[in-house]
Amino acid sequence: MLQLTDIEKQYRSGDPSPDFTLSVPELTVGRGEFFALLGPSGCGKTTLLKVVAGLIPAEGGRVWFDGREWTDLPPEKRGFGMVFQEPLLFPHMTVKENVAFGLKMRGWGKKKRELRAGEWLDSVGLDGLESRLPSELSGGQQQRVSLARAMAIQPRVLLMDEPFSALDPQLREKMRVLLKQLHQEHQMTILFVTHDREEAFYLADRIGILTEGRLLQADRPRNLYEKPSHPEVARFLGLRNVIAGRMEQSRFHSAEIQLPMEGARPGKGWLVLYPECFRLNPSKSDSSTIPFRVTIREVIFRTGYYSIQAEVGNLALNIRERPTLKPPRPGEQRTAFYPVSKLHWIPEEKGGE
Amino acid sequence: MSRRLFHRFHRVAVFLFILFIVVPFIPLLLWSVSAGWRWPHVLPESFSLRAWTYLFSPSSGLWESMGVSLQVAIVVTLINLLIAVPAANALARYRFWGKRGVEALMYAPLVVPPYVAIMGLHLTFIRWNVTETVAGVVLAHLVPTLPYMLRPLVISYRTLGFQWEDQARMLGASAWARFRHVVLPHLLPGIAAGVGLSLLVSLSEYLLTLLIGGGLIRTFPLLLFPFLNGGDPAIGAALSLVFAGMTAGLLITTEWLLRRCYGDSHRTQPF
Amino acid sequence: MWQRSKPYLLIAPATGAMLLLFVGGLWEGVLQSLGYRPLVGQSRLTLQFYETLLSSADFWRSLGLTLRVSILSTLAGGVLGLMISVCLVMLAGAGPFKHSRFWRHVFQLPLLIPHFVAAYLAVVMMIQTGWIPRLMFALGFLDQPADFPVLVQDRFGWGIVLTYAWKEAPFIAWMLYPVLYRTQEKWWEVARVFGSGRWAYFREILLPLLLPAWMTASFIVFAFTFSAFEVPYLLGVTYPQMLPVWSFEMYTGGDLTKRPAALAVNVLLAGMAVFFGWLAHRTGRRFGLLEGGRWE
Repeated sequence: MLQLTDIEKQYRSGDPSPDFTLSVPELTVGRGEFFALLGPSGCGKTTLLKVVAGLIPAEGGRVWFDGREWTDLPPEKRGFGMVFQEPLLFPHMTVKENVAFGLKMRGWGKKKRELRAGEWLDSVGLDGLESRLPSELSGGQQQRVSLARAMAIQPRVLLMDEPFSALDPQLREKMRVLLKQLHQEHQMTILFVTHDREEAFYLADRIGILTEGRLLQADRPRNLYEKPSHPEVARFLGLRNVIAGRMEQSRFHSAEIQLPMEGARPGKGWLVLYPECFRLNPSKSDSSTIPFRVTIREVIFRTGYYSIQAEVGNLALNIRERPTLKPPRPGEQRTAFYPVSKLHWIPEEKGGE
Repeated sequence: MSRRLFHRFHRVAVFLFILFIVVPFIPLLLWSVSAGWRWPHVLPESFSLRAWTYLFSPSSGLWESMGVSLQVAIVVTLINLLIAVPAANALARYRFWGKRGVEALMYAPLVVPPYVAIMGLHLTFIRWNVTETVAGVVLAHLVPTLPYMLRPLVISYRTLGFQWEDQARMLGASAWARFRHVVLPHLLPGIAAGVGLSLLVSLSEYLLTLLIGGGLIRTFPLLLFPFLNGGDPAIGAALSLVFAGMTAGLLITTEWLLRRCYGDSHRTQPF
Repeated sequence: MWQRSKPYLLIAPATGAMLLLFVGGLWEGVLQSLGYRPLVGQSRLTLQFYETLLSSADFWRSLGLTLRVSILSTLAGGVLGLMISVCLVMLAGAGPFKHSRFWRHVFQLPLLIPHFVAAYLAVVMMIQTGWIPRLMFALGFLDQPADFPVLVQDRFGWGIVLTYAWKEAPFIAWMLYPVLYRTQEKWWEVARVFGSGRWAYFREILLPLLLPAWMTASFIVFAFTFSAFEVPYLLGVTYPQMLPVWSFEMYTGGDLTKRPAALAVNVLLAGMAVFFGWLAHRTGRRFGLLEGGRWE
């Protein structure tokens, strides 16, 4: 079990984004778990990964593994594996030598390590390319070798730093499938860093959202999506209907709308409305749904659904509707119904954590 | 200018430059095999291998001086390698206070003639008892050779970055293993270039050897110099050719090694 | 802590060696040129050797010769080097020299041989009974050796200039070649798209791009020819001598009282070399240009 406590690290990102402090009070990755750190570029996730690896020292806090403190253990003694953004294959070694490198460093004999390297190359689908040099492989093949090399040492934790972001979309898709399959087969503990929502949701058992050095929330993918605890989390997951307002006497008030909501904590906060829960043409409307009078602004057909931009006064709402019906036209006035049970309230105090 | 004329013009120009460079070696070659060559003959009147037989006879001192030269050059180059590799690492990949000063110091002997420093050190070398010894000559040769060793290494290190070493660390490689398996293979072309240049500069050094060796450490240039300064022209010519051949051979070997390493690690054709 | 001090540990051995041998040597040279000789009980510093030197006609004649020779050598080497590099690059893609490593090696030949061998080549070629006069005699241009001008061991220093031109032109070409070669690949097609001919390409694109590298290389050659010893030692006359030779003769001449003066010459020479080096440095923007940094 990998555990981080009170990690602090000054983060200097270079010009465009501002400097900030990476601070992670607590993060645990269980044995065999696939944990994804999700965040925009420049949020400090690579730095955090390198702190876990031991490649850069943290200024405060501790790294634990299975109850022992490893904060000051040099990376080569941790037995973690790492796959970087670039394949970083050693250019003067063949594919097989690359995969066997970690085993060689562990003192394995030549026969034994080459056998193992061969097995791993098979499992990433590169059998037959053992004696090639890295420069003779395509980018996707190189990243597969890199993956095999990291896995061949059977790392206690496999750290992955956006390993597929340099690949084209189709290849990325394939690599995801391969990685998920390998994870399930070998039950490895994986800490995976990405800025790609899709990737994180496809792969991970749990996801942590990191922005500007702060770990906002870590949870199972579905919980994260349905119960974001911070407006930034909701926004980063692509939810655009995050409305700031107040909760008073079981009613939500904002400049634009008011609606009833039972059982929510009173005070300032944000209301999240899921675009896919709106219905423009419900089969029935009763007290379990809330009607919104909206003006349609834009209708775009996306892969399998309509993405509709609508307005309530000055408040923009994003609505997602199935393509079974005739789509509304821009300028039209419609009523969108939203189920009460799908309202999500983020009180302010909680979001500050 | 038409394309064809242009090409012809350039061909002529290149031809002239090649003449300019190659022609001076012709009389050198002729002198080395001449038995008698008076004015105004363009070719020697008679030929003999006298100069060459003399050179390769024990009395010429050729072999001893070559031995001394190589001994000095190799020791100098090994020391350079040992101190230049870490220095190149720091200069290429780290930021630190005073870096530009260190850089200026390292490359200064390319501009300020090393004999100025070595002449200044002469008395100190006497006090240290290293004048007229190989050790003293080696110390003196370090000054002009180090910059030539350093420069290619700095360039090599600059293209390496830290990422491959980080990768090797994550695979469990210790500091030595990282150097041995990751850094060293990458540096090889730079090392080959630096070694070649360092050997070349050391082998060509005359003045420093004379100042510190006091004429007792007879390297190849010291053997050669009297002949150039009005000695037997046939032997002078033959010695010059041996020297040119030796240095050319050295550089060609270096380049061959370089191409082999480079070719091996960057092969693009499958098999 | 370790991270902070690591670069200093890495540079320590090389810096130590250079501080001891180079800076230490310069320092001792300066001290001795100021008359500091504790072995003979002389530990008071004096500027007398500099005063004598700067007020002697010999020094100024030597300096004049040294400057003349190094300026002429640099100009000749610079122009020839530029021409050689342009020829090499423009013919790299066409003609009988296409992709020929051999011809590039031929041009490197003068780089491989030491300066004293180059000086010897000059002797063999250009003394009044040398190969060039012989060829000219055979072709009927000369009647006797004395008709050929004194080019070796002459008072003007022609032999030294010609030797340096022959030796340094390939060096300058070698420094320019990478810049030119990359330029060729990158810009020739662009220039063609804009309808530029070869001459316009050379004038508008190659030359301006080459100029900084050319200036730097020339400064290096200048600083070197200004302070190098071997060629003027072999090809110079006994009076006036170029500064390095003069200093060497004073130092090794057996008269120990002349040694401080020899070192004073060295110090002045080094000072001027540093000044030229600084100029080169400014032009080349920190060696970066020499390594082709701008083009990578």
